[in-house]
Amino acid sequence: MRKFTLSCLAIIISLIFGALILWLMGKDPVAAYMNLLQGSGLMEKARYAGRQSMFTDFMSFIDAMTPMIFASLSVALALKGGFFNIGVSGQMLFAGFAAHMLSLFIPSRILVVIVGFIAGALIGALIGWLRYKFNVSEVVSSIMLNSILMYLITFYINTFYINPVSRQSKSIVDSARLTLSGFRWEGLKVDIALAFPVAIITALILQWFIERTTYGYEIKASGLSPNAAYYAGMNVHRTALMTMTLSGALAGLAGVSYFCGYLASIQPGVVPSMGFDAIAVSLLGGNNPLGCVLASFLITIISKGSIYMSSRQHIEPEIASLITAFILTFAACSAFLSRKGKK
Amino acid sequence: MAESEFIVEMRHITKRFPGIVANDDVSIAIKKGEIFAVLGENGAGKSTLVSMLFGMYEPDEGEIYIRGKFERINSPRYATSLSIGMVHQHFRLVSNYTIAENIILGLEPEKKFLGIFPYIDIKKANRDIAELSERYGLKVNPEDIIENVNVATCQRVEILKMLYREAEILIFDEPTAVLTPQEIEAFLKILQNLREHGKTIILITHKLKEIKAVADRCAILNRGKLISILDVKTSSTDDMAKMMVGREISFTTPKVPANFGKVILSVENMSVKNITGLDAVKDVSFEIRSGEVFAVAGVSGNGQNELADAIAGLLKPSGGKIILNGQDITNSSVRKRIEAGVAYIPEDRHNVGLVLDFPLRDNFPLRRYYSSKFSHRGVINEAEFDDYGKRLESEYDIRSSQGGATITRSMSGGNQQKAIIAREIDMQTPLIIFMQPTRGLDAGAVMNVHRQIVAERDRGAAVLLISLDLDEIYDCADTIAVIFNGRINKISPASELSVEDAGLYMMGVGKSA
Repeated sequence: MRKFTLSCLAIIISLIFGALILWLMGKDPVAAYMNLLQGSGLMEKARYAGRQSMFTDFMSFIDAMTPMIFASLSVALALKGGFFNIGVSGQMLFAGFAAHMLSLFIPSRILVVIVGFIAGALIGALIGWLRYKFNVSEVVSSIMLNSILMYLITFYINTFYINPVSRQSKSIVDSARLTLSGFRWEGLKVDIALAFPVAIITALILQWFIERTTYGYEIKASGLSPNAAYYAGMNVHRTALMTMTLSGALAGLAGVSYFCGYLASIQPGVVPSMGFDAIAVSLLGGNNPLGCVLASFLITIISKGSIYMSSRQHIEPEIASLITAFILTFAACSAFLSRKGKK
Repeated sequence: MAESEFIVEMRHITKRFPGIVANDDVSIAIKKGEIFAVLGENGAGKSTLVSMLFGMYEPDEGEIYIRGKFERINSPRYATSLSIGMVHQHFRLVSNYTIAENIILGLEPEKKFLGIFPYIDIKKANRDIAELSERYGLKVNPEDIIENVNVATCQRVEILKMLYREAEILIFDEPTAVLTPQEIEAFLKILQNLREHGKTIILITHKLKEIKAVADRCAILNRGKLISILDVKTSSTDDMAKMMVGREISFTTPKVPANFGKVILSVENMSVKNITGLDAVKDVSFEIRSGEVFAVAGVSGNGQNELADAIAGLLKPSGGKIILNGQDITNSSVRKRIEAGVAYIPEDRHNVGLVLDFPLRDNFPLRRYYSSKFSHRGVINEAEFDDYGKRLESEYDIRSSQGGATITRSMSGGNQQKAIIAREIDMQTPLIIFMQPTRGLDAGAVMNVHRQIVAERDRGAAVLLISLDLDEIYDCADTIAVIFNGRINKISPASELSVEDAGLYMMGVGKSA
């Protein structure tokens, strides 16, 4: 409960800071924040283009939120087990790329999900293994892997898999894409995130897994106090490996729902910033799976709604990233405060 | 101002910490150029007393005079300016710096490049330190990196650090605890050499032999009180030991005569290395029978932790055998040993015994959560977690603000310890290890723990009690073993070993058994 209050406080303070900046720029903060909601399909816009409505906006909002849920779950699980998985971006990229490659041979949505899961899990396992075998800090190895994977994939895409017009990778075939793009319904064009129910179910399962299973018990004990876990007769190394493998797998799901869902292609040369935003989201959600879903909802409003806000208010969409950054800072502070409060 | 005969005078010093009086009206006076030893058991208040001299604490009552002048020493920095230096039990060196860099740290000789840009004149530092080390016979190579040199060298570096700061009053806190016998001998020579150079030395120790070898006078502390100040030459080690431990031993725990059964635990020629790879336990053998409290007495850091960890499975022995009920468990995992019947109350209840950020209820099944009682095919039986917690809380009187939901960290130390003891005792194992079970507990809680230890014995368990507190040992033990420097040098029925003799064995001066 205390965590929840602190998270709310972090959001409110961040929004006030954001408002202050908007006001200093001579913009109307209230209008700008309303634009965020409108852009996310949570408030009626004044006007809609053809085949669009508040409902279609909301559905693409859900589409954008889906990978964020997976990514924040990945961070949250790792943190429970005492790992700071800062490599979600690289794991997403690798999983998305692997799924793209596979879909060239067998275009199947189920297979895309499975491959994403496995590809992410492999990278996660590698990080966990490096940690317990050679005592390499997961922060260092996962950041390094971000770059390694990004450049390898960029190389491949630029050489063999580029769409010369968009300068992106080629698009995944529709039959393998996790988002039904432009689905015609009642005269509207709707984007349907097929992975969204999977994300919600995953959050529920993860909550149950952490709180109600002996594996979750081991992960929490090892994360909070490795010495006590060892004394308790747990296999701390195996637990660490399992934690990072699962965290990587969740990041993999984020990757496929992002690169083979919300987007259909991979932009070469960059790692998705979502992997880093997910850290903020997880902290904001108190590292609790259901909290992550709520926090993803909030952060996605800011990121998704920022496009509409910037076009209406003529401000750079980066202001939204700034607010997200504020939230990360305050959420990190509140995580510290809540730990301090317990002593 | 009258020139005092004493360089250091501490008058009527009292220092209280929450729950205990560390120093109770202690007065000592130290002459210039003598080696003055402060002797006492763990927790007698030796370190506290001299820490006040070095400005780490301030006394609650009493006054400190340095060179006849009243001083309020409120920081180590001020103590340094009074030319007081201290070598702590744990060295305070930067491990990836050279010896010279460590010594000059904070007092670097500077040179200016082009007259404006300051830089450290390391050549001058190296020269100065080489000269200093020669003058006092403290052999070091200024350019060696700390992590590549041995413990005895580190100690010499610490001494040079004080000398570099022109300290006249040198304080040593348990300086020989980490040294080998040969290094100790060399160290004692260094002390005598320093005395010849006119330095005043304050030596905190519980090793009588060393005091006898070098000290001029010796203050004996017991439970915060000054017992006596003796002239070392005219006093015998026996007298000193008696004063150090000598006190009423209160047999407060009611005990029925022991009824030994078959051998439960047998340790054969076991050696254990500590995490730094040194032999902490050396060739130790003993047996514990059913219905016996086997207590290991000893001064802190003589291998007790490693002994307990090795039997509980947290450390692997480097040699020898551990046999429990006829089953060789030398190489078994922690879990295998729990299942074979080893309960363990570890010394560090915060980092090892409990997951402090767990709710209390989750800490009870910590070592058995996977068993069919608490889970089924990997799914936790929450009702059982709850019920079990409630049962232990009421049976063992564990108090907390919100019952099983209380975050363990927020509980008092006594109740945390009760929770660990409850958990381990409730496993009803044939062997139970108590490592320093009453550290930091108040008198009532201590009594309670002692009763539980005896109750475990009466149930027929083999009890291994490891403690630094001789009172505790005599209160509970049927058999006493004394550990010194990793070896058990005496095993005796409790009734046949006097406290004085135990004290001597603890300090390694007793005849070997």
